[in-house]
Amino acid sequence: MASILVPEVPAPGFSFENCQRNAFLANKGFPAPTATKTGTTIVGIIFADGVILGADTRATENTVVSDKNCQKIHYLAGNMYCCGAGTAADTEMTTQTVASQLELQRLHTGRTVPVETAATLLKRMLFRYQGYIGAALVLGGVDRTGPHIYCIYPHGSVDKLPYATMGSGSLAAMAVFEAGWKPNMNEEEGKKLVRDAIAAGIFNDLGSGSNVDLCVICGTGPAQYLRTYEEANVKGRKQGSYRYALGTTAVLKQRVIPLEVTSVNICCPQPMEVEPSHSRR
Amino acid sequence: MLSVGGNFPEYAVPGAKQVRFEPYADNGGSIVAIAGDDFAVIGADTRLSTGFSIYTREQKKLFKLSDKTVLGATGCWCDTLTLTRLLSARMQMYEHEHNKSMSTPAVAQMLSTMLYYKRFFPYYVSNVLAGLDADGKGCVYSYDPIGHCERSNYRAGGSAGAQLQPLLDNQIGLKNMQNVTEAPIPKEKALALLKDVFISAAERDIYTGDCIYILIITASGIQEEKFELRKD
Amino acid sequence: MFLTRSEYDRGVNTFSPEGRLFQVEYAIEAIKLGSTAIGICTSEGVVLAVEKRITSPLMEPTTIEKIVEVDRHIACAVSGLMADSRTLVERARVECQNHWFVYNERMSVESCAQAVSNLAIQFGDSDDDSGTAMSRPFGVAVMFAGIDEKGPQLFHMDPSGTFVQYDAKAIGSGSEGAQQSLKEVYHKSMTLKEAIKSALTILKQVMEEKLSENNVEVVTMTPGSMFHMFTREQLAEMIAAIPELQWTDSSSSRNTIQDLSKLRLGRQTV
Repeated sequence: MASILVPEVPAPGFSFENCQRNAFLANKGFPAPTATKTGTTIVGIIFADGVILGADTRATENTVVSDKNCQKIHYLAGNMYCCGAGTAADTEMTTQTVASQLELQRLHTGRTVPVETAATLLKRMLFRYQGYIGAALVLGGVDRTGPHIYCIYPHGSVDKLPYATMGSGSLAAMAVFEAGWKPNMNEEEGKKLVRDAIAAGIFNDLGSGSNVDLCVICGTGPAQYLRTYEEANVKGRKQGSYRYALGTTAVLKQRVIPLEVTSVNICCPQPMEVEPSHSRR
Repeated sequence: MLSVGGNFPEYAVPGAKQVRFEPYADNGGSIVAIAGDDFAVIGADTRLSTGFSIYTREQKKLFKLSDKTVLGATGCWCDTLTLTRLLSARMQMYEHEHNKSMSTPAVAQMLSTMLYYKRFFPYYVSNVLAGLDADGKGCVYSYDPIGHCERSNYRAGGSAGAQLQPLLDNQIGLKNMQNVTEAPIPKEKALALLKDVFISAAERDIYTGDCIYILIITASGIQEEKFELRKD
Repeated sequence: MFLTRSEYDRGVNTFSPEGRLFQVEYAIEAIKLGSTAIGICTSEGVVLAVEKRITSPLMEPTTIEKIVEVDRHIACAVSGLMADSRTLVERARVECQNHWFVYNERMSVESCAQAVSNLAIQFGDSDDDSGTAMSRPFGVAVMFAGIDEKGPQLFHMDPSGTFVQYDAKAIGSGSEGAQQSLKEVYHKSMTLKEAIKSALTILKQVMEEKLSENNVEVVTMTPGSMFHMFTREQLAEMIAAIPELQWTDSSSSRNTIQDLSKLRLGRQTV
């Protein structure tokens, strides 16, 4: 694990030691494992009336929290939302791109776009970029065929599941689902389960933290985006006061620019003598 | 980067990796120590972690070396354990050889030589030593992993050390401030500041959180205190 | 010398049936051939005074060094085989430096004596991995005078490695008489100046040659100026202030001188 204290020193030069062996193994169907590092917990489940998506709100840069309350549940269409884990820019741009395509599709067909369409657009885009777009997504929505949850990986593979988790906190969240999910849960049960799954990620995964966001999509009405459904962690109260008295900050340089105030009298504007160009002709 | 795949397609393998000996782990954790005229306070969070997971939320990282010296150590936890055991053994030997208990400055110097002794296979530990010196004045010593030692009045170390030190510089060292009068920091203020900086550290450093374990060293003994932090 | 002298006085690590280590005892005897050295510890500091035997007028007196600085705060006076003393003094210096290096503090005088004593009793060690064994005990007695956190201190160590703290101690050929005199003159409230005067007076009593600035070495250890070796001028001044020797006071010291002068014929030590 690389950090400031234990820096990972890159080995100088090139090493081709295992290339041929690895190529051989890959050709035989044993590709080298690829790791995806995402500091996030995102989940989605199907319940009786639709789907519920959940996400934590921490964004990290290596070991530093860069945003304490970010949004990870992205809008795709009125009937579907998509949680994103991985590279923040990639999840953001991918979902926005697909959202615009879905809107065009809706206008073109005049129908509610099926969730399947969004899943296909996403996987085709991600596959085209061969995993270089680091977006790991949980897509959820309801269409005329019912509720759907899709799990889309950065390389473009797709799982269609009744409950799914993604990101570095996916194991903690999946543990909660495996223990608690059952078909045809009501909305309250569903929200409680998703909250618990996200909380498991928030408390047990260092890449996830802060608050729980939920999004409930039922076939019957508009989607309920429950931003900050629960404030899982409250910032500690400080004892001291850290306000500075006036004059604490040094004035390094001072320059006074005197402004000359000249009084200007404005008279009634005189119309200019303008001859329209065409009148000359 | 050289595009291997482009020039040598037969060598383009996803995830071609080098395997090397990695003898160190980073188990995170932060320490803050503040010295006053007749006391020293030192606090460390109690979270022990690796990568993105937590080993325990209640690991004390402060070691009482004597009734007036406390060491705070974070970094590679196995190195911390070995180093502190060796340190107490050496202190015991000193007591037997010289018929007196070690002063904090003596421990400080010995720790420096012990760290430098392993110059080319170091203990990856971020050490902050706090205590009272021979005159009963509070003192804080900080180290790099290979034995550089510096005495000061306040110090932050560990995973959030780089974030907290500037705050201490400003609040205790009164750096970048005008029209302020330097005055010795009272114990209560040092304690409040220590807790406040940890609240801030827990906000931004993923390796800092859960709880702080604080030791207050005075001539009359060492007091313990605990303070809860956020747990995400 | 000993009636029970037998084969047991050959090996350094063989006890006699009476439980004695003859070689160590002989080594202690060797000290009594050495030049007299006196140390007095007062609350103001410690004084060391040593006789230098100038056996030839062609000798350069300054090359006889019997009081040396071990560290800034510890001085050492030796008597006996000077060559052996070099080894012990070197060890004392190394130990003091090592203590400073590791702990960033001055080594206490007692610890210094302890460290040197560890070397002194290494004779006969052959089964460890330290390499070659020492063939015999060191033929030197050492006085450590120094200032540490407990104040001025004086320690004495003999060839057996035994070290003891003293208020005042004499070693070397005139030690018996000198020790007797020290017992008479020493008192707890002695000033350093009185101590220097007493040391020189006693040295004058027990020395064979006439005491002069050429054949004596005096060092004081004080908390203020630490190691200070008296210059020839300072010595001359001090010696001039000493009253003439009176032979009437104690007969013991005179006897000692006579006894010892006999002994000295046996072996010459410088």
